[in-house]
Amino acid sequence: MSILTERRVTSLVLLLVGMALLSQTFGQAYSGLGAFSPMFFPQIVLSFWVAVAALDLVAELRQRVVGTRPQLLRVTVIALASLVFLLAMTRIGFFLAAVPFSAVALVTLGLRRPVPVAAVSLGVPAALVALFNHLLTLPLPTSPVAWWF
Amino acid sequence: MIELLPQAAGLIFTLEGLLVLVLGTMLGIILGALPGIGSTVAVAMILPFTLGMSQAPAILLLLAVYAGSVYGGSISAILINTPGTPQSAATCLDGYPMAQRGEAGLALGWSTIASTIGGLTSAVVLLLAAPQLAALALNFGPIETFALILLGLTCIVSVSEGSLIKGLVAGSIGLFLGCVGGDPITGEARFTFGQFQLISGFNLLAVVIGVFALSEVLIRAAAKEEGTQSLVSFSGIVLPPLSAWRGRIKGLMKSVAIGNGIGILPGTGAATAAFISYAEAQRSSPNRAKFGKGEPDGLIASESANNAVTGGALVPTMALGIPGDAITAVMLATLTLHGVTPGIRLMTDNPVLIAAIFSGFFVINLMLLPMGMLVAKGAAPLLRLREGYMLVLIVLLCAVGVYFVRGNPFDLLVMGGAGILGFVLRRQGMPMPPLVIGMVLGPTLEISLRQGLIITDGSFAAFFTGHPIALVLAILAVGMLALPLITALRARRSGTA
Repeated sequence: MSILTERRVTSLVLLLVGMALLSQTFGQAYSGLGAFSPMFFPQIVLSFWVAVAALDLVAELRQRVVGTRPQLLRVTVIALASLVFLLAMTRIGFFLAAVPFSAVALVTLGLRRPVPVAAVSLGVPAALVALFNHLLTLPLPTSPVAWWF
Repeated sequence: MIELLPQAAGLIFTLEGLLVLVLGTMLGIILGALPGIGSTVAVAMILPFTLGMSQAPAILLLLAVYAGSVYGGSISAILINTPGTPQSAATCLDGYPMAQRGEAGLALGWSTIASTIGGLTSAVVLLLAAPQLAALALNFGPIETFALILLGLTCIVSVSEGSLIKGLVAGSIGLFLGCVGGDPITGEARFTFGQFQLISGFNLLAVVIGVFALSEVLIRAAAKEEGTQSLVSFSGIVLPPLSAWRGRIKGLMKSVAIGNGIGILPGTGAATAAFISYAEAQRSSPNRAKFGKGEPDGLIASESANNAVTGGALVPTMALGIPGDAITAVMLATLTLHGVTPGIRLMTDNPVLIAAIFSGFFVINLMLLPMGMLVAKGAAPLLRLREGYMLVLIVLLCAVGVYFVRGNPFDLLVMGGAGILGFVLRRQGMPMPPLVIGMVLGPTLEISLRQGLIITDGSFAAFFTGHPIALVLAILAVGMLALPLITALRARRSGTA
């Protein structure tokens, strides 16, 4: 078994991030000392983080747990599609961002029948726009093309 | 107050009053069940509609939406692991595991009954002891609050079953996330790395929805199976039989007392109450070993406490004119808009109106049960969709919900980032509830600790010498931390004997 397992790498990264953040709390000019200092509480929290993350890394190095291999392609596509959708939603409007996201996500998740996929990809975002923009009058971001979607 | 009830009934049981109660409760449940809308947005949405109404129906409408939305948050928390409101985050811990093992209807049954009892009891407390409780709340300073939050944080231990160290790492990440943004005392920016969007910190609901719901979508996408099955099986609320309540009433009453008690403390809120109540239930329940795996005691603790907060929160609002949170601040504004000045004289100047509000609140909580059953019945066909369709719907609803909190595109990115972080940490075997508990309780813990140290001139020991309430709470917290260690030692001894 390789020494670099997913769990060990994650534990190491968590320890390093904690240490990097803790180092940020020193050497900066903040007003006040003791309880008045803005870094008083974060220093306690981050010291604790570093201590428990170090213990976690030691525990991971001592045990040989190999996690299940994820469906990497599927999870990467869904994660990327979600991020693109979240970024695009406020720029091109909820409906225009949600339709391609829904289609890509459904196909990636193994749903291949074109009619239901198309119906859900178009129908669900349209229903949400109708509910929020027109019924509840809580407007979702609209597209630059037309105010009603 | 009791002698005014007949006159109060005259204000409530009118056509306008009854319509307001029914529609308000139902709308509140629906809005609460939609992730991200939350009680504050729901109440603020309704506020303009109250302007044309008379005093009592206007305030009752807001109360109905408030109580309904707090309960409604549990529906999505149980069915799709997406808390509709932050106060329902603790409900996910046992509600969703129950749903996953095919008991979604029963989980909703427990939560509905617990919510109803929590709300009803808080209404009775309001009717009987509002002025006295308001005076008591004034004795609760930062040191007592610190000890209370410390007690709440100990539930990280109980929800980290399997790996305490991993739970503590997740808890410290949550505590750190709560530190990001402006310092609560000096206002200086912390850990913003030049990003102005971070000055106000990470949005709690964006992080909660990301680590619970979005990470669940990614975990399911990463699984080998194709998403063609239903996510959970659900056909409607199933009420637990009376016999199932045996041994649970004491815990329920304790959670209701915790919810009421925390509700009257300004600035703590229903999410804090739910986690503290969960921690206490985990300490004292005979079924503590099953917590986090779908134990009804856990569900009862969080749901009864967060609904009991609704009545408790009205105590300082009505009796002292001090709003405990954003929702009660909106209520305060409504009272003022309708020519009612909340404060010490409110009870003496408008006794019939106050009796109508408090007894109307009782009726609202009675309606949670039938209205909840009706709304859940309507949601049932949606949950029979294939998993793939549900996962896409969850992402869309999460995005809508987080967008509505502040209308800030940055919150959407935070949710996406939290989802990916949650996915990575869950693959590591790290439980997510400690992260959320840390983030919910962290800011109050920090401010109460620092205020306490400033009051005592930096002496931490003075926290417990002159403050008996804080001392009792601290002893309870130490007991909570020691309990798993003692249990493990006993188990080891009996194993070697």
